[in-house]
Amino acid sequence: MTAIPKKTAIPKKAREHFRLNAVSRKTEAAFHLVLGIFALACIIPFVFVIIISFSSEDSIRRIGYSFMPQAWSLAAYEQVFRLGDALWRSYFNSFFITVVGTVISVVMCILYAYPLYRKDYKFRGFFSFLSFFTMIFGGGLIPTYIVCKDLLGMSNNYYALIVPMLVSPFYIIIMRTFFQTTVPFDLIEAATIDGSGEYTTLVRVVLPIMKPGIATVALLTALGYWNEWFLCLLYVTDRKLYPLQYLLMEMQRNAEFLARNSSMIGASGADAIRTLPSQTMRMAVVVFIVLPIACAYPFFQRYVVEGLTIGSVKG
Amino acid sequence: MKKMLALLLAAMMLLAVVPVFAEGPVEITMLLEGNNVTDDAAVLEKLNAYLAEKIGVTLKPTWGTWGNFDQLALDYVNSSRNEYDILFTCSWTSNEYAKYAKKDAYVRLDDPEDNLLEKYGADLTATLPELLFEGAKTEGIDGEKGIYAVPGFKDFATMNTWDVNVTLLEKYGYTLEDVKNAGFYGWGDIFKTVKEGEEKDGEVFYPFVFEGAVVERFVTGTPIVTGDSNSLLSYYMNTEDVSTPGAYGNVFFNKYATPEFEKFVKQMREYYLAGYIDPAIAIGETATDTWRNAQNTARYLISSEVSLYGYEYTTSEARGIQVAYLMTTDAPYIDNTSVQGAMMAISSKSEHPEEAMKFLNLLNTDPYVMTLLNYGVEGIHYTLNDAGEVEFIPEARATYSPWTNGVGNVTILPPQKGQGADFQQRFAEFYAGSKKLPIYGFTFDSKPVEIEIAAVVNVKEAYALSLCTGAVDPETALPELLAKLEAAGMQKIVDEANAQLKTFLGE
Amino acid sequence: MTAQQPIERKHKRKRSAKTFWLTTMMLPVTVWLLLIRYLPMFGISLSFLDYRLPTRKLPFPRNLFKSPWVGLKNFNFLFTSESVTMIRNTIGYNALWIVLGLLISVSFAILMSELTKKFLAKTYQTMMFFPYFLSWVVVAYFLFAFLDPTNGMISRAQKAAGGEVIDWYNTPKYWPYILTICSIWKNTGYSTVLYLSAITGIDRTQYEAAAVDGATKWQQLIHVTLPHLKPMIIILLIMNVGKIFNADFGLFWSVPMNSAPLFSVTQVVDTYVYRAYTSTGNVGMSTAAGFLQNLVGFICIMAANSIVRNLDADSSLF
Repeated sequence: MTAIPKKTAIPKKAREHFRLNAVSRKTEAAFHLVLGIFALACIIPFVFVIIISFSSEDSIRRIGYSFMPQAWSLAAYEQVFRLGDALWRSYFNSFFITVVGTVISVVMCILYAYPLYRKDYKFRGFFSFLSFFTMIFGGGLIPTYIVCKDLLGMSNNYYALIVPMLVSPFYIIIMRTFFQTTVPFDLIEAATIDGSGEYTTLVRVVLPIMKPGIATVALLTALGYWNEWFLCLLYVTDRKLYPLQYLLMEMQRNAEFLARNSSMIGASGADAIRTLPSQTMRMAVVVFIVLPIACAYPFFQRYVVEGLTIGSVKG
Repeated sequence: MKKMLALLLAAMMLLAVVPVFAEGPVEITMLLEGNNVTDDAAVLEKLNAYLAEKIGVTLKPTWGTWGNFDQLALDYVNSSRNEYDILFTCSWTSNEYAKYAKKDAYVRLDDPEDNLLEKYGADLTATLPELLFEGAKTEGIDGEKGIYAVPGFKDFATMNTWDVNVTLLEKYGYTLEDVKNAGFYGWGDIFKTVKEGEEKDGEVFYPFVFEGAVVERFVTGTPIVTGDSNSLLSYYMNTEDVSTPGAYGNVFFNKYATPEFEKFVKQMREYYLAGYIDPAIAIGETATDTWRNAQNTARYLISSEVSLYGYEYTTSEARGIQVAYLMTTDAPYIDNTSVQGAMMAISSKSEHPEEAMKFLNLLNTDPYVMTLLNYGVEGIHYTLNDAGEVEFIPEARATYSPWTNGVGNVTILPPQKGQGADFQQRFAEFYAGSKKLPIYGFTFDSKPVEIEIAAVVNVKEAYALSLCTGAVDPETALPELLAKLEAAGMQKIVDEANAQLKTFLGE
Repeated sequence: MTAQQPIERKHKRKRSAKTFWLTTMMLPVTVWLLLIRYLPMFGISLSFLDYRLPTRKLPFPRNLFKSPWVGLKNFNFLFTSESVTMIRNTIGYNALWIVLGLLISVSFAILMSELTKKFLAKTYQTMMFFPYFLSWVVVAYFLFAFLDPTNGMISRAQKAAGGEVIDWYNTPKYWPYILTICSIWKNTGYSTVLYLSAITGIDRTQYEAAAVDGATKWQQLIHVTLPHLKPMIIILLIMNVGKIFNADFGLFWSVPMNSAPLFSVTQVVDTYVYRAYTSTGNVGMSTAAGFLQNLVGFICIMAANSIVRNLDADSSLF
């Protein structure tokens, strides 16, 4: 993505030339200031939440949430770890759903986008429309629920947490654009003349040059799965299947529901509320959710930026 | 390809529709509300052996939690519903009893053509007080009144109380009598003294913590109107004698347009501005946490509680202070909302309504079944002490604690530690002294004004909590609210409710 | 003719074989679309029905045929006095954010492309992209850490300074700004990368030629950079305009903590419909609302596209 190809050595003269055509040092300093501040603002809240999750309750009561708490404490994490199995299982579920979902989803996406890119494919128009139409029109929550749950058996299984998100027409469009911009059509014609079958061409010839594009769609898909909780709310009641994001969401929904109905639940509701997780504990769960993203993402980011660079140029 | 797909679909639909015929006991599925159950294996093993032997049924419960029940139940009743035979319902969850009985979601239990209650629920009918069934009567899709769910036998009368931290009160030289005599409008001085005293060491102290969404009822003496789950209507009770009509007679008002309401919110505003109320109570998200936390840590002076018999003991023990409850009416009052506060309905989609009824009958009459399902297995989840009281084993109980009120007849449970062997008897006697409201039996059917309600609810939601907690200035916010309610069609809702009430009272 | 025939036949066979194999690739997604997207479209009919619940005697889908036809009654609740607010909010926020998001991310992309310290530019980019990966629930907690009335950092700072503590979650007037900041905060990184990539794709010699001709940086921007960005700006605009009647549910629901006093500025179509569904349980009404949203989105996308096509045929989406 850099303006100057990194690996080629730039002749000195040319470098000076760039400097000549660059903004003044003062202006550039101002640019750094603007971008730097915004960039910092993008990660500071996360740092803040990490600090809060390590702050002692006592310190919070005295000085509130602060970047410099009076005392540190692991109490919130002890509470989270007390979830025990539930925590690790939901961690596993999140990873499992994300990995399996992403792999299947990306494979399907490639298989659908590839013929759409093939100018010589007869039903291109029809299938384009088939997917594009669903970007705009849908049946609504309850009808989809009826179909998924009652006709397709999505209830209390991983299937329910994976299948409803498998296809995104938007990613199909992105993927098709990747094909259009990275894969020259001559390449396919050449392969065809060599007698290569369609699948062989796709796997041997096309995919190797598509890596950044695939990485991009894969990462976006994976994020979708990692952050998803509504499917779990709709289709899953078995706690063994909860993903991490839903664990947090349920804490929140429990609190919200009890808030709305505590007079109805009556006195026994007080016990339920007593066992509700504290704000700091919820902050700790947030850290658990964000941490894998924060760790994995700098590695993927390079591919994604590269991928978006290619995919966005209109072909 | 399309043909293939059609075939595939047809096959799937068939699979979904054709019931599986199997030998042996029938499996009954049940959706419950508000639980903390992660391991039910031990309970189900014992329970199912017993049930299979006794009525040829096994039970498969789905332990809905507070956080997911509303969505589960709402989607369930509205979808094609192949999943549950029995589900928890009541007047305040999304699968609202009266509303969905009217929409044909539940089996009519006293259907003259197929009277399940009579056939399989004889013990049940004999055990539960007649007035519970009376309160459970509601209209079905055919407009006939009937019983569409088994009402839970619990604290079926409402007891609105002020929860007073007596220990703290006495520290500042006041007595319970002072609180009682001053009343809500005269607590300012007490709050001031206690707040100043408690804040000497620099920590913030809010003497008045309450549940913002309902505290208005305590002050103005207005019960929940059954069917009005969004709190739009007010009915004024006679708090001196709840069995007789109040000053206005049997009539409904726009809750927010009465002089009583205005007086109440102005007082709340005064308390709020004086710093007696925690601002966090005015935010939906933090309100309950704040309220309950203050109670549990005993950092409050006066609080609100919809209480029940024998609760002083439990809370005093848990909070390490002396707690007293001041009732805001002369006696606990029986209204449909409290009677319909926890019920078990059989889904109108169930393939096994008869077996479901047999099970409900047992659940409400057989102490073994009820205790097992609520408290778990003796020796694993709890032990019985010499006084015959239940003592929980914390680790096991943590993996299995259903919401007792949401299950069935709580009066056949053994007493818990400290309640005394004769607890259930005293409990029953206490509630025998409760009084029926004059409009007992009335349920507001919101269907004719559904559109207005959808609009009005959004208006009301934006103001109610902040007005009732004093967080906004009623001088400006109240007229604004009233104007918007008016524009959204509030009057139509009130008129409809009053018309229905007239019909009900036979005027 | 006879000599050519076998070759042609062979070609034909080859062509149909190709079509066959390519079609098999479409199968997985097609089946998915038909089952999970198209099949539920029967639900659109619920918009016009007084939906009867399925029962044992009247199972699905027979209950649909027993549900009385009510015409447009289910749409009424979208056109009450209250709905003006949520329609204003939905369209207002969307329009504002489309423009603001465009300005900010294009400017950021341009600023970034001018940086000579590439390592720093990359670091900024990495940091700015981060919020895009978070869910709104998580963002809501981030914000809460600052605004919580009892413990929030800003509230405590206000208290410490002796000023009046702003009751953020009860004061609507701040929320248009807060929501805007959140939306920009979360999405800028992503679109900046998109635009930056388009800028880096521009042939450097064009700038050099312009510089040689004595064009200032500003003139280079107007005459070289922006024209190159135009197609992408237009595509993203059309896509966004198509969603002008849809709001990001998580942003408007989770971030303001579902706080009721803020509804006047946080109520949007999606939250309004969800609240109406959970408070009335009426399937017809929520389906009607969804259908109307789709319809409006469809009209907007078509309108935007045809306007673009009239102005500049090459840039239109289809």
